[in-house]
Amino acid sequence: MSLIPGLGIVSGMAVTLRRFFEPKVTVRYPEVRLDPPHKFRGRLQLLYDEWGTLKCETCFQCAQACPIECIDMGGLDTRGRYHVHWGAPETYGERREESALRRSGRTVPDPANRPFAPIDLGAVDAVLEDFDHDPAHMLEILEATQAAYGYLPVAALKRISNRTGAWYAMIYGTASYYRHLRFDPPGATAQDAAVDAHRPTEATYLAAFETALGGSGSATKPRTQA
Amino acid sequence: MTVINRTWDRLTLPGKIVFTVVPILLALLIGLVAVIAILGAPIVNVLADNLPIVRFVVAATIVLLMTIPTAFLVGYMELKCIALMNLRIGPDRVGPFGSLMSVVHGLKMLMKEDFTPTGADRIVFTWAPIVVYLASVMTLLVIPFGPGLFGQDLNLGLLYFFGIGGLSVVGMLMAGWASFNKYSLLGGMRAAAQVISYEIPLTLSVVGLILLAGTMSLNQIVLDQSGWFTGWYIWRQPLGALIFFIAATAEANRTPFDLTEADSEIVAGYATEYSGMRFGFFYFAEFVNVFIIAALMVTLFLGGWNAPFPWPWPITLNLDPGGLGIELLILVAVVPLLLTLVFAAPFWIASSRIKGWQALIGGFVLANLFLVGLVATAAYISLDWVAGVFWFMTKTYVFVFILVWMRGTLPRVRVDQLMDFAWKWLLPASLLNLFVTAAAIVVVKG
Repeated sequence: MSLIPGLGIVSGMAVTLRRFFEPKVTVRYPEVRLDPPHKFRGRLQLLYDEWGTLKCETCFQCAQACPIECIDMGGLDTRGRYHVHWGAPETYGERREESALRRSGRTVPDPANRPFAPIDLGAVDAVLEDFDHDPAHMLEILEATQAAYGYLPVAALKRISNRTGAWYAMIYGTASYYRHLRFDPPGATAQDAAVDAHRPTEATYLAAFETALGGSGSATKPRTQA
Repeated sequence: MTVINRTWDRLTLPGKIVFTVVPILLALLIGLVAVIAILGAPIVNVLADNLPIVRFVVAATIVLLMTIPTAFLVGYMELKCIALMNLRIGPDRVGPFGSLMSVVHGLKMLMKEDFTPTGADRIVFTWAPIVVYLASVMTLLVIPFGPGLFGQDLNLGLLYFFGIGGLSVVGMLMAGWASFNKYSLLGGMRAAAQVISYEIPLTLSVVGLILLAGTMSLNQIVLDQSGWFTGWYIWRQPLGALIFFIAATAEANRTPFDLTEADSEIVAGYATEYSGMRFGFFYFAEFVNVFIIAALMVTLFLGGWNAPFPWPWPITLNLDPGGLGIELLILVAVVPLLLTLVFAAPFWIASSRIKGWQALIGGFVLANLFLVGLVATAAYISLDWVAGVFWFMTKTYVFVFILVWMRGTLPRVRVDQLMDFAWKWLLPASLLNLFVTAAAIVVVKG
C-alpha cells in the first residue's frame, strides 16, 4: 500500500466518488417526516382535560416507574388538601454533593449499585450442563438451581442468562412469576414467616366472626389455607 | 409604501449604496444607448481610432463581470458536490436544486454589518480585500478562453500571470497587518509563508514547459497544442503538470493546503476581523482562484480551448437566413408553435391523466430545449470560438470538480508538513524536471 506514494490518496478519492452517486440519507424534514422510534415518548408533559383541569392525579406512578429516577414531582393531592411530594427533600443535598464530586473529577458512588456476593458457580454450570444450555427448559433450570443453592442468587441468574442466551429480564420475570422460586436466602424467608406469625391471619378473623355471629351454617366453613 | 420603507431601513450602508447605484447605472446605460443611437457615427470613429484601448477596456469589464457567475458556480459546486460526497443533499431550497444558493449568500454578505475594528488602519483595511480580489481577477486577462478570446496576448503572459498572482500575498499581509489584531497578523504571516513557499515550485514547474514551447505567451502555448490530444504538454511534462497542480492548489489556498483560513480549526486567519462584503471579497477571490488555477492548468498542459481530437471530416453549414426574405419571418412565427404542438403530442397520447395544458407546457419546454440545442449545435459547428469556449469551459470545470472533490476527500496537512513538502519534495522535483527537460531538449535538438 505504502510502496506507491499517493495510492492512499487515490483510494480515498475513489471512496468519495462512490459516495457521490450513492443514495443520500438526508430527510427533507418539513415535507418528509420519519416515524418516531417505537418506544419514543417525547417530552414529558402534563395534560389537561376538556374542562381545563389538570389530568394528573398525583399518583406518582410515573415517578415510581421512571427507570433513571429523573421524575421528581410535587403538588397538591386531588382534593387539594395535602402537599404531596415524590423524592425526599434530603436527596437534594445528596445531589449537590454528587455534582460537586463530579465537577471535581472524582468518582461518584452509586447507591443504587449493590454488588452481589460472588458465589461458587460450579453448581449452576452443572445444572446448565444437565439441561444442555437450553433456554426452553428455563423453569427446570431455575428449580434445579434453587435446589442447589436454596435460593436464586443474582450471580447464578446472570450465569444462566450468559450461558443460555436468554435475556436476564426474561429469566427474572420467569423466576418472579413462580411462587416457589425465591431470590433471598431461606434465612430471610424464615424471618418473613416469623413476622407473618405475629400478624392476625384470616383464620383468626373468621373465628372471631363465627363467635360474633353465633355459629350460623355454611358461611363460616373453615378455610384450609390461610 | 411602509414595506419599502421598512426594507430600506433594514439595509446596511453598502446595501443602500448598491440599491441606489444599480438603478442609476441602469438609467445611465439607457441614456448611453440613446446617445449612441443619436450620435452613432462620430463615436464609432473615435472608438475605431483607439481600438487597442477599447479592446482592453471591454476585456477588463468582461473579465470583471464574468468573475461573478464563475464564483457563484464554483461556490455552488463546492456546497453541492461536497454535500453529495457526504451523503447529504446539500442546498435544495433556493432555486432549482438550490442553484441560487450562491446568490443568496452574496445578498447575505451585502446585508451584513461592514465592521471595522477600533484601532484598525482603515485605509489599508479597506484596500486589502480589493488587492486580493484584483490580484486574482487581473490574471484572467491573459488567459485565452477561445481562439482570439483573450484580454491581451502578452508575450510575457506566464510571467505576468505569476507576477500578478503573487500580489495576493500583499493583500493578505495588508489584511493581517491592518486588522489591529495579533492573531490576524499571525494568520497573514502564515498565509504569506505558505504562498511564497509554493510560488517557487509553481514557477519552476512551468520553466520546463517554457523551454519546450519556446514562448511565454499563453495564446501561443495553446496554439502549439492543437490537433490530437496526444500533442498536449501533459504527456511531455507529466511531472511538471503534477507539481504545477499541487503547487497551484496550495497557491490558491485549497484543501489539503488551506491552512491560511482552515475554517474548521482556526478563525479564518488574516480575515478574522472582516465581515460583510469586505469578507465577501476574500471569499470571492478564493472561488475565482479555483477557477483560475483550473483554467491555467488546462491552458498550459491540457490544450486550452483545443478540442481533444480534430473532427475527422469537415462540416460546413451553408446557412443563410437572410436569403429566405419574408419567409424567415413566417418561419420564426410558425416553427415554435408547430414544434410545441409536435412535442406536446406524445404527452397527450401517452396518458389520459395528463391534461391538455400540462401536455402543452411539456411540449413548450421540450421544444425550447430542442431549439436551443439546435442553435447551440449550429453555433458550435459554424463559429470556432463557440467550440473553443465550450472545450475550455468543459476542461476547466472538470478541474474545478477535481479540486472540490479533493476538498471533500483529503484532510488538511500540518503546517510543518506543508513546508516540508514544498521545500524537500516539490522544489527538488521541479528542479529535476527542469534539468531533465533541458537535457532532453539538448539531446534531441543536438
